[in-house]
Amino acid sequence: MIALLLALALQTPPPPAEHASPGAAEPAAAAEPAAGHEHAAPQGHPEGAEQEEHADPAEVLMHHVTDQPLPGMRHIDIGPLHLEPTRHWLFFVLASAVVLVVVRLAIRSYREGIPSGIGAAVETLVLYIRDEIAEKNIGHDGRKYVPLLLSFFFFILIAALMGLFPFPTYDFKSGRFGIVSATSTGNLSVTLGLALIALFAMQYAGISKHGFVQHFVGMVPPGLPKWLLPIMIPVELLAIVSRPFALMIRLFANMLAGHMVITALLLLIPLMAAISTFFGIAVIPVSLALALFIMVLELLVAFIQAYIFTLLTSIFIGMSAHPAH
Amino acid sequence: MPTDPKALAYFAAGIGAGLTIIGGAAGIGRLAAAAMEGIARQPNAGGDIRGAMIVAAGLIEGVTFFSLIVTILLAIK
Repeated sequence: MIALLLALALQTPPPPAEHASPGAAEPAAAAEPAAGHEHAAPQGHPEGAEQEEHADPAEVLMHHVTDQPLPGMRHIDIGPLHLEPTRHWLFFVLASAVVLVVVRLAIRSYREGIPSGIGAAVETLVLYIRDEIAEKNIGHDGRKYVPLLLSFFFFILIAALMGLFPFPTYDFKSGRFGIVSATSTGNLSVTLGLALIALFAMQYAGISKHGFVQHFVGMVPPGLPKWLLPIMIPVELLAIVSRPFALMIRLFANMLAGHMVITALLLLIPLMAAISTFFGIAVIPVSLALALFIMVLELLVAFIQAYIFTLLTSIFIGMSAHPAH
Repeated sequence: MPTDPKALAYFAAGIGAGLTIIGGAAGIGRLAAAAMEGIARQPNAGGDIRGAMIVAAGLIEGVTFFSLIVTILLAIK
């Protein structure tokens, strides 16, 4: 992303183009050692940088947060389905793999029942979710749902943290380095999948406890006047859908918003550089400091969102298992 | 007088984002004030109050983000 911004900074030259472009690029390269060598080629021939597509800030912002197909991959069409590996898909699979590996490592770190290293850290979180989230909100049979809640928690946490970590890439065709990073939970389809699993868990909790008919009958509060039923039944049906819907939107929006804010703050540099070179250089420390602050905030948000998703799922499961309390 | 629909969309997005933040800030502000008062009166219950506060803040935040996304779509589409 930073590489993309630098490319943009190079491509929006103020009127004296030959003069200003290298001037704006050098301090930026000094501030970002990781991206410095990435632009060795465009600095060599500044004309080459001008050839690339001119992107306006809104496009850069959307390019950063929306899903993109991976370059150089072929796609499969099965009927109306268009299957193609994309950036969010890659990070979705990577996050799942990381969760599995971390958990395996945690299990292997046990020596005679005593965890060490990563096992101790994971055990703390697992115990917290079992005792403070599942058992408190679902009740005695809360243990049954602990694996599901733990999967939600660790997947959302790892997926969000991976979005903050830059993965270096190398394009063999053009011989350029780049950085790729994405939060797979910043994609509405991924959170829709998580929310659907949560919806099934909520309904399963009620149906397995009270039976299919009694589960839906028990949703209407007892002792309700008969004439209120035409209002209450649609309301309760709406509540079934709206709970996972809120989970879906909340996670998606939180993950999306953090990345959008960071990108917008970094986009201040090319926007100011378009006014004058001096403004462009002067805004670099401000922009980087603000972006760093939001990055640190995003670390916190990753934990809070994983916690909230897990907690709300367990509360909704509890409400479904014990209606009208 | 701009009658370009795009200008109107930008205008609506700006106003909408501002209103959204007013609502969200008022909600979270009231919540935090009440939670602080509760913790000050009953420091023992601090942990429970903090947990409940985070959940309520998350609910408010979710709605706020929902309308913020609407305004972003207005500005970008």
